[in-house]
Amino acid sequence: MDHAAAQLEKQHVHDVYESTAPYFSDLQSKAWPRVRQFLQEQKPGSLIADIGCGTGKYLRVNSQVYTMGCDYCAPLVEIARSRGCEVMVCDNLNLPFRDQRFDAIISIGVIHHFSTKQRRIRAIKEMARILVPGGQLMIYVWAMEQKNRHFEKQDVLVPWNKALCPQPLSEAGQPGRGRGPPQHPPCSACRCSDCFEGRRGSKRSHSVDCDTVLAGACCASTAEEGEGENGFYSTLGKSFRSWFSSRSLDESTLRKQVEKVRPLKNTGSWANGTISIQPSRHSSFDLGHPETSSTGEQNADEEVFVEPSQGPLEWLRAPTTRKQLNGDHPGVMRRNGGGNFLGGTNAKENCVDEDNVEEGTAPGSKLWRRVSAADSTDSNPGDAIPVEEQQPDALDSRAFMRYYHVFREGELCGLLKESVSELHILSSGNDHGNWCVIAEKRESCD
Amino acid sequence: MRLLTHNLLSSHVRGVGPRGFPLRLQATEVRINPVEFNPDFIARMIPKVEWAALLEAADTLHLIEVPKEPIQGYERNEEFLRKMHHVLLEVEVLEGTLQCPESGRLFPISRGIPNMLLSDEETET
Repeated sequence: MDHAAAQLEKQHVHDVYESTAPYFSDLQSKAWPRVRQFLQEQKPGSLIADIGCGTGKYLRVNSQVYTMGCDYCAPLVEIARSRGCEVMVCDNLNLPFRDQRFDAIISIGVIHHFSTKQRRIRAIKEMARILVPGGQLMIYVWAMEQKNRHFEKQDVLVPWNKALCPQPLSEAGQPGRGRGPPQHPPCSACRCSDCFEGRRGSKRSHSVDCDTVLAGACCASTAEEGEGENGFYSTLGKSFRSWFSSRSLDESTLRKQVEKVRPLKNTGSWANGTISIQPSRHSSFDLGHPETSSTGEQNADEEVFVEPSQGPLEWLRAPTTRKQLNGDHPGVMRRNGGGNFLGGTNAKENCVDEDNVEEGTAPGSKLWRRVSAADSTDSNPGDAIPVEEQQPDALDSRAFMRYYHVFREGELCGLLKESVSELHILSSGNDHGNWCVIAEKRESCD
Repeated sequence: MRLLTHNLLSSHVRGVGPRGFPLRLQATEVRINPVEFNPDFIARMIPKVEWAALLEAADTLHLIEVPKEPIQGYERNEEFLRKMHHVLLEVEVLEGTLQCPESGRLFPISRGIPNMLLSDEETET
């Protein structure tokens, strides 16, 4: 199971972040105030680690401390480094640090990318190991309970539409951001050597067709501005904001998908680019408790929810969506330069969650299963793309599917209490659609 | 990679444990980056430094002589603090390797970024 889990994470976390890294920018990564506060409260001279730092937005919050950024995704780490941060590529499950080194650690939007409970526990225990007794760990994970989005299950694949990230970094001009010209990440560091210059006309599978993007719309920033700063979402209105596609996973589905992906020679659903429909009543594969469909729609078994192409979507139109899904998928599962490009019907499959913007930390380093996901990128630009534009080529999928295990209320605390006794919970709560915990390493641990 | 970072790193090759520290540093490209001197910050870092590992790394890079141990009253000794500031924060290894002293495994440093990822085989139980 661990190998299958690693495979899933490789395909739907690491490869996605690696391929989408070029599109991350300062604009997309909003630092959560509570996280900033946590960092600023650390004593001067502290050693801090950001495990799953992505592009490094938290690494320079406090100039009185030494903060190291770690991520699994090399391209994202390169971006962080270009901003002058001290970073490395590594794996959250095998942190290359001695025991009891760090005074504080943050894990923002990382743990939810681990696909089994054991791996999530292991990741947390690794961070506890390198924490000094009395040191604090802050963890943020995506919550299952969301205001503007409904997760049918806890283990989901969430598409990311590249078309939502409109400009190359050099063109960033988001009003109100006033942070000066964003840094141009070293393109040589990522695989998309033409990602900035050639993007608009590029035919590469991972390039973004920026022409389809709403002018001035940056999904990341709009999603991040869910708290009211931004006018974009309000302008679009609620009816446009419900494009949602998620594919829930259970263990049997997971195994099937992994098996199909590996050889890539048969016409498994992945290879064809269609998301296989696995009717299932199974619970979230590693939670072990039966899940119930809380929405009461008749297709409790349907795992794929795709917005129909006409009109505002009602989620969970399973039969309709299944047809459309199969019909519209151009079968663009391709591997190109390490990126997995999963065909999606259209941009409407993007998940929108203005309230739930994850940190944009992409774990490039193995360390962090792409620690922070720039969920701002999940915002739905779909509504911006007219239905008429659903040409076959326009349907060329722009959706990278990212795996998440979204947490139920109390789950993260429960995990710590049950399996990480070396940590003592100081506080917990919900912040912008994330369950968060601050825990302290107990003194005199063996 | 700065030397303060090197001081924190350890090999996590399976079975190596505490013998994975310190990593043997080898550098082919080094750069000096001026960093604003913050005496209070450096003074607080000193107790956290593994001195022998720092001496070894500084020696490899042919840096100015680092004292064998923090001198008495270092907190108020500006010359000492400035020296440590330079060694810990201003010297950056851009290209090189870090070697596990126990297993010999090499971890590359490129463009200033150490890559500490292990292969699947190396992490398997």
